[in-house]
Amino acid sequence: MNRFIAIALFLSFVLFTSSVILSSDIFPYKYKIEELGNGFKVISIPLDNPNIISYYTIVRSGSRNEIEPGKSGFAHFFEHMMFKGTKNIPRPVYDDFLTQLGAGTNGYTTDDYTCYFVVFAGRENLESVVKTEADRFINLYYDEEMIKTEASVIEGEYYSSVSNPSRRLFELLRDTAFEKHSYKHTTLGYLEDIKDMPNQYKYSQLYKKRFYAPDNCILLVVGDFDHAQLMEYVETYYSGWERSNYKLMTPEEPLQTEAKRAHYDWPSKSLARLAIGFHGPAYSDENVDKPALDLLAQIAFSDASSLYQKLVIEEQKCLTLRPNFADRRDPYLLIFNSIVKKDKDLSYVEEEIFRELERLKNELVSEDILEDVKSNFKYSFANELGTTDGIAGALAFYINLATEPGTINKLFHLYERVTPQDIQDVAKKYFKETNSTVVTLTGGNSK
Amino acid sequence: MREKIVSYFLSILFIGVLFMTVSCKKEAPGKLSFETLPLEGNPLVSFRILVKVGSANDPADKEGLTQLTFSMLANGGSEKMSLREIKKIFYPMATSVRLRVDKEMSVFTATVHIDNLEKFYNVFKDMLLDPGFREEDFIRLKTNQLNFLERTLVSNMDEQFGKEILNLMMYEGHPYGHNEAGTVENLKTLTLDDVKNFYKENFLRGNITIGIGGGYPSDFPLKIKEDFSVLPKGRTPALSLPEQRMPEGLEVVIAEKKTPATAISMGFPISISKADEDFFPLWIACSHFGEHRQSLSHLYQKIREERGQNYGDYAYIEHFIQGRDKFPATNYCRQQQYFSIWIRPLTNSNRHFVLRQAIREVKKLVEEGISEERFKLAQEYLINYTKLYIQTISERVGWKMDSSYYGYKDFLVEAQRKLPKITIEDVNRVIKNYLNFDNLYIAIITEDAESLKDALVANMPSPITYTNPNMPEEILEEDLIIQTLPLEVQPEKVKTAPASVFFKKLGLPQSY
Repeated sequence: MNRFIAIALFLSFVLFTSSVILSSDIFPYKYKIEELGNGFKVISIPLDNPNIISYYTIVRSGSRNEIEPGKSGFAHFFEHMMFKGTKNIPRPVYDDFLTQLGAGTNGYTTDDYTCYFVVFAGRENLESVVKTEADRFINLYYDEEMIKTEASVIEGEYYSSVSNPSRRLFELLRDTAFEKHSYKHTTLGYLEDIKDMPNQYKYSQLYKKRFYAPDNCILLVVGDFDHAQLMEYVETYYSGWERSNYKLMTPEEPLQTEAKRAHYDWPSKSLARLAIGFHGPAYSDENVDKPALDLLAQIAFSDASSLYQKLVIEEQKCLTLRPNFADRRDPYLLIFNSIVKKDKDLSYVEEEIFRELERLKNELVSEDILEDVKSNFKYSFANELGTTDGIAGALAFYINLATEPGTINKLFHLYERVTPQDIQDVAKKYFKETNSTVVTLTGGNSK
Repeated sequence: MREKIVSYFLSILFIGVLFMTVSCKKEAPGKLSFETLPLEGNPLVSFRILVKVGSANDPADKEGLTQLTFSMLANGGSEKMSLREIKKIFYPMATSVRLRVDKEMSVFTATVHIDNLEKFYNVFKDMLLDPGFREEDFIRLKTNQLNFLERTLVSNMDEQFGKEILNLMMYEGHPYGHNEAGTVENLKTLTLDDVKNFYKENFLRGNITIGIGGGYPSDFPLKIKEDFSVLPKGRTPALSLPEQRMPEGLEVVIAEKKTPATAISMGFPISISKADEDFFPLWIACSHFGEHRQSLSHLYQKIREERGQNYGDYAYIEHFIQGRDKFPATNYCRQQQYFSIWIRPLTNSNRHFVLRQAIREVKKLVEEGISEERFKLAQEYLINYTKLYIQTISERVGWKMDSSYYGYKDFLVEAQRKLPKITIEDVNRVIKNYLNFDNLYIAIITEDAESLKDALVANMPSPITYTNPNMPEEILEEDLIIQTLPLEVQPEKVKTAPASVFFKKLGLPQSY
């Protein structure tokens, strides 16, 4: 049996046999998509898994939407403000409601989207969750004083990882690699912009009007509920939400024409860090480039790869070596990260990574290794779907990218079709020195 | 592709993990134990191989040996296969073996699809039962462990650093009193022979509990039992733990480094654990006072929500490691537990104020107890929230093991039975019995340590600064009380040292 079909069949039996489609699709669950008159899309996946319901609101706005100067970190800041309550349901009442429910609840912000989730037990609680969540998205209320206090919480969040050099390296990489696009800054934003957040009350209202609107949000509900009942509640509580009709125009990143480089001196002892970024394509479930690059990353740089074996296991130059080719709505970076044990080996590790990329341009990868990586992708994805919340969490990411779950199956069908020639083609297309940004960090002279 | 949830730098953490001394109730002492969770038809199989040996079992002058030895099994080759060959086999299955070492236990975990069960298990079993103990693996893993102590822990992760200093303070001279990775000085002296001998002396049938859950064949545990019979019978002698030392007044250690933010952890040993009846009312009290990363936390409300001082503030009545999402990870059981408060990093200028505020809140909790309203809220919260603890197969097996450790058939079922019966009187009684505010170990990571020491000893006023010029009147009034709250800090009880000197030798740095 084809390994792909075998895994699809395996998925079809993961916990929830009545909700699955027996096909060769990697994502096996039946889902329904409906849209209210105001453009609010609802994706529901009822499961037989008893009791648990995952309720996710995906706002298709992240740090990518921070296109104006001085507004970096705003999507994340606004995520915090979303927990301030409404005049109908003030913050303490909202908190008490979720507390009594014993819900697992939080929000997170990424480059492209902001996600709010409530994971709770008991379908009898569904209506109250829909009502409460709808209320805060439609009627959020806060004043200038509240925004000032919350701004200092953001500064505290910045400080909670200030001792992590990997975060600093990542900030430096993006700031150096991008010229125009809002991916230039990270989700937390620049510290100077964070410090100015107390003064941004008016902008926060504009931000809400633009992005916290039904035509920019998607509701995803997974678990133990009835779809018709869900829709009845959703129509009751979300229909009064007004459209935004705002069209975001992210700045186009100019073509990089020469190699870039930057360095950061860490103030205390630290292992050295290296990150190499190349501008790559946006997420696509139609074009083969990004899927081929995903496979390339694993073939050449996973912990089963020859280079990992050489640098981490045999020569022991690196503590870690890993690729990060993240999917983004706009063209983003193909990143190689390494923690290097001695400062003096940084240039050697960098050369080895570039040498490996040259090899990929000149040699076809083996079919066997390519198959191993495809297998790894499928089992990895399958493992994520082991719980109700695992399904919701995995789906939220893809729904942000493509607005519906079918993109996952399209993507994995693309993975299936990638050939060694495709791998070589994308290596030649993207891994040019003039398209590269190398950033390094050292601290404490770990010679 | 989709980024993995686990940040990539997590792979370098050697933070202890833990395990439980699962009691061998299903077999006589000295023999292999099992915790099984058969789920017929489920396509996944999760392993948790628990070894009742942790860093508290490190021989004197060989701190870090448990972690290094078990790392050689999880992250080194077997006799038959090099690590590279193992990775090549595991990679297409999208599986790996993970190790966590805590004070009393260590655990090897893995989850695999049923299609790959046999192939995976044959490699996994050899990793554990027939390790390769190669010199190159030894050098690599020992270097990594040293790097963690010398560079990562003291330089790159201040929140964890603070918790580890608190551990050093609470358990000086105690088997818990060193980091799982050991000490720099003694780790350097460890040899491959030390590792081989430690394995031989401790990887014994009686120390091991096989946890397995999922759709495995019914005869699979028997096969495991047969395979593991190559190990010697017997068990490591039970740890004899000395009595925990309570702090005498406020005992403060300040690790100094250049940093814009101050990290604070504080606490003291407590005499109860999940095994005790009083755990349940104290659990409700702690949930009210500092539920981990939830807005229910009173500390969070006072320090973060009202004053915007940092990202969060929490309290714990046992050793806590976050697992999936914000839920507690399993297999971190210990015979001796501690109460702690975690103040996430805040701007240096307000460090003294927030320290005063946190201690004042403990004082108010002890003196005034919990209100009826908050009691009911926290009680209902715990009853419902704990229903979410178990979602994956591995979590279910882990909770079965923890239940056995603490003497329950199913701890979470017991919690559902007991929590609703707890009264506010129970809660306020245990708060007074087990918590206190004037005997605390306090670990602080900050810059300009001497000025903080001087301010603490002199009880200097510590007015707070806000970015919001229009803070509510009632908060400003309370601030006036907090900023002059007297703390009895004796100069000889405040010790400062550069961050870089921690974990070099056993105990706290002596170069004060």
